[in-house]
Amino acid sequence: MIGYLPGRSSLHRAHPYTPLAVAAGLLFLAFAFRSPAAVWAVVVAAAAFAAAGGVLGAVLRPAAMLALPTWILLTVLHGLLGGPPHLALGPLALSAPGVERALVFGGRIAAILFAFLTALATVAPPRLVEAMTARGVPFGRIYLLVSTLTVVPRMRARVRQIIDAQQCRGLRIGGSPLARVRALGPLVVPLVLSALAEVDEQALALDVRGGSAAGRRTALAPPADHAGDRLVRWTVLVGVVAAYAWKFAGAGR
Amino acid sequence: MTALVTLERVGFRYPGSARPALRDVSVTIDAGTVTGVTGLVGSGASTLLLVAGGFAPRLTGGALTGTRHLATERVGIVFATPWTQLTGLASTVLGEVAFGPASLGRPREAVLAAAERALRDLGVAHLAERDPATLSGGELQRVVVASVLAMAPDLLVLDDPAAELDPAGADGLYALLPSVAARGAAVLVATPDTERLARVADRVLALEDGRLVRAGPATAVLDDTDVARIARAAGCPAPLPLDVAAALGRIAR
Repeated sequence: MIGYLPGRSSLHRAHPYTPLAVAAGLLFLAFAFRSPAAVWAVVVAAAAFAAAGGVLGAVLRPAAMLALPTWILLTVLHGLLGGPPHLALGPLALSAPGVERALVFGGRIAAILFAFLTALATVAPPRLVEAMTARGVPFGRIYLLVSTLTVVPRMRARVRQIIDAQQCRGLRIGGSPLARVRALGPLVVPLVLSALAEVDEQALALDVRGGSAAGRRTALAPPADHAGDRLVRWTVLVGVVAAYAWKFAGAGR
Repeated sequence: MTALVTLERVGFRYPGSARPALRDVSVTIDAGTVTGVTGLVGSGASTLLLVAGGFAPRLTGGALTGTRHLATERVGIVFATPWTQLTGLASTVLGEVAFGPASLGRPREAVLAAAERALRDLGVAHLAERDPATLSGGELQRVVVASVLAMAPDLLVLDDPAAELDPAGADGLYALLPSVAARGAAVLVATPDTERLARVADRVLALEDGRLVRAGPATAVLDDTDVARIARAAGCPAPLPLDVAAALGRIAR
């Protein structure tokens, strides 16, 4: 999994709402289509989105790691256990409608992963905070969203520290699957306990710094929302509405 | 002097704990003074800070007995570990320090002026554009203290604030406390560093097993520092010097 990756791409420089809107638009488009070709066209668009942000390489590996088990499961479930007609693939007989369904579902998962990992990698959390503050979003909602976006990198850093500390004390994390499972205890317990302690102190720290204050916060450096950003977001909205209109008109195949 | 905090026969018990963390504590904290709190680990010093600052039981849970009167809502707190006290929502030190005043909805110029003044007071103005994640523990702790001072608290509560600082940084931090008090704030600091405390505290509270066992001027309460013990053994008349600087001053006279 990845978090924000600093860069100078157009997505990094865009208003933070723009990459998020594009990611959300790709998600909706992936579900608007029912044919494998159309869904995989959305996957290609999502990959192009990642490339535009200069993060295609960084996004590819975690997306594949997350998608691959689901693709295998979908292929087994729908391809091998689906109904006729069947296609002969060497010694295997794959269900043609099952394979089509697996391609659609697998494509949707791929598109969602590409889109949202790209948004995560290109939207700097502090800029998103400023953008939301400038729009008058209550701090509680901002914190909820941004802490969710940043939780994975923070947990990874903490896991790394705990692994280092436990290895210094003789913990072996390699070996057989059983040994790896055994090693989880000394890693998970301090991870959970330290996370709980941090939550307590951070709640106090935010409280004394006005985190729970009523009223509108002051945005110190709100990111510029250029006409180009607004055009992209409106285009995404119109595209999604058009795709769903097309779908509900019965032409979505 | 104006009493900012008045505790009368206060007791406190954490949730799930059978043993009270504070027992029958009566004390007054005045504006414009530095009050030190000392005691062994588990003596209740940190709990006294949380109770006096109004954080316990509001944020910690637990049960408070006795009477507490807190004459202000503007309370700042600093813990020993700086990493848990960052908002995680700012990409620069200036943004981190400005977070509190911005939460109060003050005008942008006033927010930035308060943040810059606090950074100057802590001697870390040169770090203003740095990413907080790249700072050392000592630098970060000074940023955390600046973040709290930028809120101009009436009551500043510090729990072992120099634990992560080098000796020079700790000296600088403790030297700042009387100037905060001189602006009219009450400063309440818990620390095992009795020598530095002796230099700045107008009054010291000593706790044992949750009870207030001694209270008075530093020279009366902190008579067991290393320097004081040496001075006593050498037959030095009272009041005993409590730190090296005081001893050198005595010798010079």
